[in-house]
Amino acid sequence: MKPVEFDLNVSIDHISHWLPVQGPIKDFIHHNTLHAVQHYPFHKGVAIAAKVFGARSYLALTEYQAMHKQGRIKDFAIDWAIKHAGVDSNNYPQLREKLFATDSTDHYPPVSLANHGVRNSWLTHLEIDLNSLVHPIIFRLLANFLDQGISRWTLAKPDESFLSCVWRLAQNSLLPLYPFNESSIRDLLNESPNDLISLCLQRIVGDESLYEQYLLEMLLAHPGWAGMVRLIELDPKALLERRQITLKELIAVELLAELAILNKKRGAKFINVAQTPHAAEIPLLNDYEDKAIVPLPLKVWHEAMEYSLHTELLIALKAPDAPVKAKEKPIAQAFFCIDDRECSLRRYLEELNPAIETFGAAGFFGIDFLYQGFDDAYPVAQCPNILNPKHLIMESNLRPEAEKNAVTEGFSDLHIKPHSLFKGWLFTQILGIGYAARMVWDVFRPSSQLLKIKKLSEVDAHTHLHLLRENDEPNADGQLLGFSVIEMADKIEGLLRNIGLTKQFAPLVVVVAHGSSSANNQHFAAYDCGACSGKPGAPNARAFAWMANHEPVRDVLRERGIDIPASSYFVAALHNTSRDEITYFDKHLFAQYPAEVLQIFQNTMQQALQKNALERCRWFELGPQKHSFEEAHQHVATRASSIFEPRPELNHSNNLYCVVGRRALTRDLFLDRRSFLHSYNPDSDADGQIIVKILSAIIPVCGGINLEYLFSRIDNSVYGAGTKLPHNVIGLLGVANGVEGDLRNGLPSQMIEVHEPSRLLIVIEQSTQVLDKAFANLGAPLKEWLDNDWVRLAACHPGTNELFFYHSTGWEPVELPAGTSAPTADCSENIIVGQRATIPVHCLRRSAA
Amino acid sequence: MNTLLLACLLLPLFGLLLIALLGTNEKKIATISFWTTHAMGLSIIVLLALWASNGFPGHEFEWFTLYERGNYRFPILFYFDRIGAAYLFAVWVIFSVIVRYCRNYLHREAGYKRFFMTIFGFALGLNMVVLSGSIDMLFAGWEIVGISSFLLIAFYRHRVQPVRNALRAYTVYRFCDIGLLLGAWMGHLLFHESDHFSNLAVLFADSAPPPASYPALALMSVLIFIAACGKSAQFPFCFWLPRAMEGPTPSSAIFYGALSVHLGVFLLLRTAPIWSYHYIPRTALFCIGLLTVVIATLSEKTQSNIKGQVAYASITQVGFMFMELALGLETLVLVHFLGNAFLRCYQLLVSPSIVAHMLRVEGAIDTDFNIKNTRMPDYLPVSIRDTLPEVLQNTLYVFALQEGNLELLVRSMLWAPLKQAGAKINNVSGVVKIVVGLSVLLMTWLAFTTDVINSLYLAAPAALAMVMASLSAFSQKHSFIKIWNAVAMSALFAAGAVWLLHPEALPDIVLFTTGIIPSWLLGILVLIKLPKQANFKDSPFAYRAMAETNPILSLLLFISFLGLVGFPITPAFIGEDLLLYHASSQYSWIGALIAVCFVINGIAAARVFLRLCMGRPLEISQS
Repeated sequence: MKPVEFDLNVSIDHISHWLPVQGPIKDFIHHNTLHAVQHYPFHKGVAIAAKVFGARSYLALTEYQAMHKQGRIKDFAIDWAIKHAGVDSNNYPQLREKLFATDSTDHYPPVSLANHGVRNSWLTHLEIDLNSLVHPIIFRLLANFLDQGISRWTLAKPDESFLSCVWRLAQNSLLPLYPFNESSIRDLLNESPNDLISLCLQRIVGDESLYEQYLLEMLLAHPGWAGMVRLIELDPKALLERRQITLKELIAVELLAELAILNKKRGAKFINVAQTPHAAEIPLLNDYEDKAIVPLPLKVWHEAMEYSLHTELLIALKAPDAPVKAKEKPIAQAFFCIDDRECSLRRYLEELNPAIETFGAAGFFGIDFLYQGFDDAYPVAQCPNILNPKHLIMESNLRPEAEKNAVTEGFSDLHIKPHSLFKGWLFTQILGIGYAARMVWDVFRPSSQLLKIKKLSEVDAHTHLHLLRENDEPNADGQLLGFSVIEMADKIEGLLRNIGLTKQFAPLVVVVAHGSSSANNQHFAAYDCGACSGKPGAPNARAFAWMANHEPVRDVLRERGIDIPASSYFVAALHNTSRDEITYFDKHLFAQYPAEVLQIFQNTMQQALQKNALERCRWFELGPQKHSFEEAHQHVATRASSIFEPRPELNHSNNLYCVVGRRALTRDLFLDRRSFLHSYNPDSDADGQIIVKILSAIIPVCGGINLEYLFSRIDNSVYGAGTKLPHNVIGLLGVANGVEGDLRNGLPSQMIEVHEPSRLLIVIEQSTQVLDKAFANLGAPLKEWLDNDWVRLAACHPGTNELFFYHSTGWEPVELPAGTSAPTADCSENIIVGQRATIPVHCLRRSAA
Repeated sequence: MNTLLLACLLLPLFGLLLIALLGTNEKKIATISFWTTHAMGLSIIVLLALWASNGFPGHEFEWFTLYERGNYRFPILFYFDRIGAAYLFAVWVIFSVIVRYCRNYLHREAGYKRFFMTIFGFALGLNMVVLSGSIDMLFAGWEIVGISSFLLIAFYRHRVQPVRNALRAYTVYRFCDIGLLLGAWMGHLLFHESDHFSNLAVLFADSAPPPASYPALALMSVLIFIAACGKSAQFPFCFWLPRAMEGPTPSSAIFYGALSVHLGVFLLLRTAPIWSYHYIPRTALFCIGLLTVVIATLSEKTQSNIKGQVAYASITQVGFMFMELALGLETLVLVHFLGNAFLRCYQLLVSPSIVAHMLRVEGAIDTDFNIKNTRMPDYLPVSIRDTLPEVLQNTLYVFALQEGNLELLVRSMLWAPLKQAGAKINNVSGVVKIVVGLSVLLMTWLAFTTDVINSLYLAAPAALAMVMASLSAFSQKHSFIKIWNAVAMSALFAAGAVWLLHPEALPDIVLFTTGIIPSWLLGILVLIKLPKQANFKDSPFAYRAMAETNPILSLLLFISFLGLVGFPITPAFIGEDLLLYHASSQYSWIGALIAVCFVINGIAAARVFLRLCMGRPLEISQS
């Protein structure tokens, strides 16, 4: 091998490719956990990642076999998967035999780069547990430097970089900063980061060709912090309180700490990495990339499971259409987020009142902006994180608020700050015993409101959004305050055309955003709207309704061919997905609306929410076994406010399908809350421009949600965050186990434990010709998702319902096993009775009833 | 009342056994724990009511004598007074809350059964400590609390860090056990039959001259302080408490927020007559409290994680309690204890909500948390006005960030010398060891067959051999069997040394060895049965995950580990006490050495258990 010139910056780029990209915990942006290998086909990528990170690639063999026994994996799907496994047809029987072999160790993680690389074998040779000595020091420095408000003394000074902060503590303090206390080490801090790193690497590694490998292994020993640092370096605005830090600085400080500790423990003349015996035999990153082997039986099982689950939907779609009834004019229309949790609520609404029509769209409703509520300290982005909003919307109070009573205010939240000295001494003496009562009360009688944290549904009705821009002067951060009329019309038109609603507006159009309230939950952001970067979508719904009601906007829209009649009104609402409650906004405007329709809608909604609560309750083992609607509703509300409930709701854990098409396609299907639903009219999109727009939102958002759940489920301790029970909040940045652990990425086990880890199946109601045209305009990063099978895609031909799978090689007609048809039922309640696991797609014969 | 006392003690044990035997699924475990918890709660309430109606007396109850020989008696003895009442009340409230909380919180968690068994074990140990009537009984409960704490810290055994922190906490516990072990024999030595808590106050009140000399009392006070400081994470052991927050949040809340951390205070309350007799121990205690308060307050300021912050806040308050104790404010301490226990428990339970609270309620990040020294420069000379405050600020920050450097201090003072000495012993070649061993044996033989050497003088080499075996076990890294043998050898040498000192104590020594030898052999059996492919030489630091790959062997190893360290399930527990009693009645320095060796052995054996049983299993066959 010819010696490779080591270039630090290039290496850092290579390495950071392998680090997780999960931002601070205040937002939660779902993404493909394995973005690092997304340029490989799915199975190959997973196999490489497994060897690099030391993770499992699939569920355990026994789990698949159990699913087969329960009938969740069908025999025809196994046949299909074997046929698609790419082996010679003579070997089919052998492969099939292997599927049913017993092996109890196959689900253990493999020997990997992260845990068994050159660095580890060197450390083993030196008999020194370097990680346990260096990590706590580095994590303490990082956590205090980046801290967003937990620590009571702020470490970072304004505009100070991490390295200069460490320099300050090490060089300019009367007490030595361990382990930089020896002058030979401390003086190295005066060097530039590049020199510092190369000096340390020379001493520790000794061979330039191993430098990058060593740095990668060093960072993969704590991917959470390394990834967080890289993310903040690239996107400083991810933090509310900005910090200057780069991955290079982290590497420099960490290497120096390693060198210092090695010098202390093993003297100045320790054996370096290149001198380790057998160092040459240990595989490097390239070897892992080339030699990763896909475990064939598990791959076949996985594909069979996915095919089984996917065909459940496809069979139902292929079912002969029920006789189309003459469509009556809807009395109300409701827009929902595409979120899978809204899937059942929409079904119940329509079931209860067929004159209500529902639509699905990404939950930011096409309006991207920064939002600052009137008691928020900072504006936050209300849109998927791929967009970069340029408008700032402020909320203001309609009536002056009474001054808060400072004294009582302080008392009710005493326990939040562990104020320690004399005040603490006094408080614990006087008030401590009171906490016995409070604790007993909270645990035995969960209250409806905990910790004075506002329930989502309590958003004040007396506020007003400043939407209309008064002048075009951008503010200091370059944002525009509000939208102009033309911009508003653009946004409204964009969404209406996306979902195919351009005529036949009902007298009442309700824009339903969603959010989730939970008590005692670090990951609360992961329960909110994924299309709003983990925030409740209420501001977007309010903005949408206001704009669509605004007469000048309607005038512009009318010119463009969308005529919203004067008798139609838009109302904004927020669905609380954990408590199943709904809040309507801007009630002071209600007087203008058709009161009767609003009343009907609200009543129907209330019933639908109760039914929805009942349907959700079947998942909660500790919930009451036999429910009335009221009991179920009460149960989900209590659940969301109990401090001891780690699962306020099960979130996206059912996600599996994404259907893009007219509601008629799915209206009569029972999808078991498994499907993202986006409305789309194939007839009005002959050149595929709209579908490109839709796909560029749903592939990263829904695909990201799906893959994050999938990988967190498959290996919860490497790709996921592990169980949330021991999690400790670090600096408002993330969670860790204990006080000195690495940040945990991914989802906690309580969110994913009932998830069936299959890739997303996107079904688009459109002809393959139009889709081909659309895919040509999709852009390489998104095309990668499709071509490498990170999501599955099928086209459903409008009218005929013929189905085709997308492959990078072309369209494959879906051949469903003959003689199978989707189960049918009269109404949703009959389906869910006694069911405790996922339910296959049913056809509802509602029209017959 | 006696029945109720027993019920408080036995109900958790009953719950533990029921869960172990019948707890096949979550629902059954929940039902069992529900009923035993409330039965225990009921007996506590009735006990408190009865005691109150009797006019709050100090109540002593001797159940039976467990072991008696010559002057030595080990009675199962209970004592109940207002201190016990306050603690029992806290146990009732917090334990009921935690069990209810965990019913839902741990739902579907792997290790549900393990968790509830451990938490009942903890309740058993706690009640034993609270109700104990003598230091010996208290020590038994103390050990049970220690082991259950160790198991709960390492609850998430797949990850290295909890396992390491469990060992850290256990090491501190173990070290502080020296205090209690030696305290117990000093109790026997100084007060003979009167070392019952009920008698202590009387003893000191009645006799005008103290029942023992000042130096002896001072020494005993120091021992008690060591034990109390370790359990309550006081100076210089503050560092382990935040790092012990590795288990599920409610277990951290009950152990390190609420109950376990206040056991040191309990010990001090119980033994108050001993150390409060003279102002020097009082002052020492006050200083410990003061130092802790200063260090913990500063450390808390730079904790950027919520649990660490609560931990240091709690340590600070316990430091205050120590100071209050030194001032003799016992009632205040009890009130303070209750307040702190409930508050910290609640804080830990709701700690996950800090994110929502800071972001949604306060809506304010990073406000006025800066170190404020605005006025200070005005008092300084102009020449250093700009630099000195900056330097001081950095210094303060470094101090707080490193938590006073206590961990490094303790490590370098206590562990490093032991490790180095042990490493030297391990480097000695096997031939030398055999030669030395043979010559010792020869001398022993000579001593018994002829009168050339008095057997008493042989006790010294035996004790030395014991120390060397212990040190060797402590720093051995490569062979688990060697560690195990060294630990057992050390225990047997201890027995031998005592035998040489006191040949007539043979039955007591046999009692001790009946606990040690079976545990040792069981451990060896497990170690031999280990799978062959686990190549220990190549990766001495890997965790072998036996608890998952081979749960039965792992359980056996755990039992033998408990036996070997003298946990109160084998006769070795009383034997340990007896050895110390006999050794120290003549040569107290041998007694002290034995105690130190037991402690080191415990740590070495715990390390073997952790390395073998914890960790995440790995794919063995490379396809």
